[in-house]
Amino acid sequence: MKRYKLGAATLAATLAAGAALAGGADLQVFDWSGYEDQGFFADYMSKYSEAPSYTFFGSQEEAYTKLQSGFTADLAHPCSDAVRKWVAADLLVPLDPAKLTNWDAMLPEIKEVDGIQIDGQLWMMPFEWGNTGLIYRTDKIGDDEITLQLLADPRFEGKVAIPDAASSAYALASLATGNAADYTHLSDEQFQAASDYLRQVHPNVRFYWSDAGQLDQAMASGELEMGWAWNQSELNLIWNDTPAKMMRDIDKGIATWVCGYVRLKSSTASDEQVYDLLNALSQPDSGKYIIESWGYPHANAEAFKIADQDLIKQYGFDDPKSFFEGSLFFDAVDPPLEAKMLKEFERIKAGF
Amino acid sequence: MIRLRSETAKGVALSAPATLYVGFLVAAPLVILVTYSMWTQSYVTIDKTLTLANYREALTDPLVRLLMLRSILIAAAVTVATVALAYPIAYFIAMKAQRKTLWLLLITIPFWSSYLLRVFAWKLILGFNGVMNSALLAVGVIQEPLTFLLYNEFAVVLTLAHAWAPFAILPIYVSLQKIDPQLLEAATDLGNGGLERFLRVTLPLTVPGIVAACLIIFIPTVGDYVTPSLVGGSDGKMIANLIQVQFGAANNWPLGATLSLLAMLAVGFAAIVFVLSATGLGRRIR
Repeated sequence: MKRYKLGAATLAATLAAGAALAGGADLQVFDWSGYEDQGFFADYMSKYSEAPSYTFFGSQEEAYTKLQSGFTADLAHPCSDAVRKWVAADLLVPLDPAKLTNWDAMLPEIKEVDGIQIDGQLWMMPFEWGNTGLIYRTDKIGDDEITLQLLADPRFEGKVAIPDAASSAYALASLATGNAADYTHLSDEQFQAASDYLRQVHPNVRFYWSDAGQLDQAMASGELEMGWAWNQSELNLIWNDTPAKMMRDIDKGIATWVCGYVRLKSSTASDEQVYDLLNALSQPDSGKYIIESWGYPHANAEAFKIADQDLIKQYGFDDPKSFFEGSLFFDAVDPPLEAKMLKEFERIKAGF
Repeated sequence: MIRLRSETAKGVALSAPATLYVGFLVAAPLVILVTYSMWTQSYVTIDKTLTLANYREALTDPLVRLLMLRSILIAAAVTVATVALAYPIAYFIAMKAQRKTLWLLLITIPFWSSYLLRVFAWKLILGFNGVMNSALLAVGVIQEPLTFLLYNEFAVVLTLAHAWAPFAILPIYVSLQKIDPQLLEAATDLGNGGLERFLRVTLPLTVPGIVAACLIIFIPTVGDYVTPSLVGGSDGKMIANLIQVQFGAANNWPLGATLSLLAMLAVGFAAIVFVLSATGLGRRIR
């Protein structure tokens, strides 16, 4: 895979550069694994000659639990839907947009996403975003035929997978039942409709995926014909020459997520060092790198101008504006509704 | 040196390390678990008013009942399968094999790799384009890959039975090893055939080994989490998966603690019933 090769190359280059200045590794980052890729923060590397220290989490819930139990770091990398909860749990300190040198160049729509700013305070610097959508095998299902309702079609028994995550499943269900706009605050009837949809999908579900690799392999082998998944899976399938793509028709239903960096209350590093990393991450060059070698769209609008236009088109984000306007956003769901979703989803998975 | 005055003081001093050990590693966590189970979660904070609300919720929930029952049934199936397969192996090593140490070493070979890897190995064997399906397709027995091999209770039972096999073989082997050969000779002298000798002498004498093997397998497998989550699909989910959801995605530690305690009680109850009936049965056939 492309990104590993590039990662290895940068790692080799750093090792060759040798003697590191003290201090770079003093910055503690709590991140998803893979984001320690030095292509993302070249400016930080040229200033400190040493990468920050990374600790990894596998899911946002795991990260939250670990932070609640007293784990400390300077920066963390959740997605926008987690920010409200993390703020409520008093884990974060707000960011200062004046110190973010690339703030003005950010996609204007991304600044409006719920959780990035709450009540006029900036809590998260958006870094990357992407889609969660219906990926399907183009050799098995036609472009005209594909809809979210097809997931519930008995013809596809044992041929579909959806995530083992209540919020993502209910986002799918809200889109499929026409209630995407109310996803974060579904009424009782809307919630019922969404649950009914998931119950119809359940008999078709081969497995509820919890790691994307499991889904990618099953899509590639033909075990699955459709899956509700992240754009990373689509790219893995493209790179693997599997005839598959994501249904990107906004009218048929697609969701968008935004992730970024938040500053933790337990942070001990200096303002300068924290903002050096944030500014390095948000540089257009970092954006070009993540777009071209990871296939993730970046938050900086300038990045799209300098990145390879063919790749942008192939990966399906040549028109970010349309996604921001027409897709469902993974915003923080109302806490009581979220608890209800989690409970109901466990039931649905067990066949109740 | 501290001079100990009485027998009592000596006794206390001698048992202190064990008491502290058990206190810190068993009793204290249990107290924490019980305390947590009586608190309630409200969004990001924990309400520390003592209440039985979690128990009410868990006990009235049909999902909890289903998963608990399924966990016990899966663990029982694993126990029966493992012990039934382990007995002949243990018998062979104890009674027939020449190089016992070598055989025992061979049995532990699967343990040289991580438990997780063994679960993944079964995923590779049972998968859609896995070893089993590829072989059957190549031979021409089937035209389409079989999908009932993976992501169900069967896959969970199979994987666990393989992973726990040595734990059943060893206690049964030890109890077979202890049998005095003169007893078997006496049985032959008194006119018992091979099968009768096994049923009337060997089997009753190995009941303690069988009971130990059953408990060693049954108790940990009821609470197994990783196997059902990797090969169980949605039909093979067990109670530990629901507990994990409470401590993870649902962020409801109090309810998770309650479910853990209820699972412990259910396992304890099932184990006591089993031990009592097994030892009773052992006495009867003797």
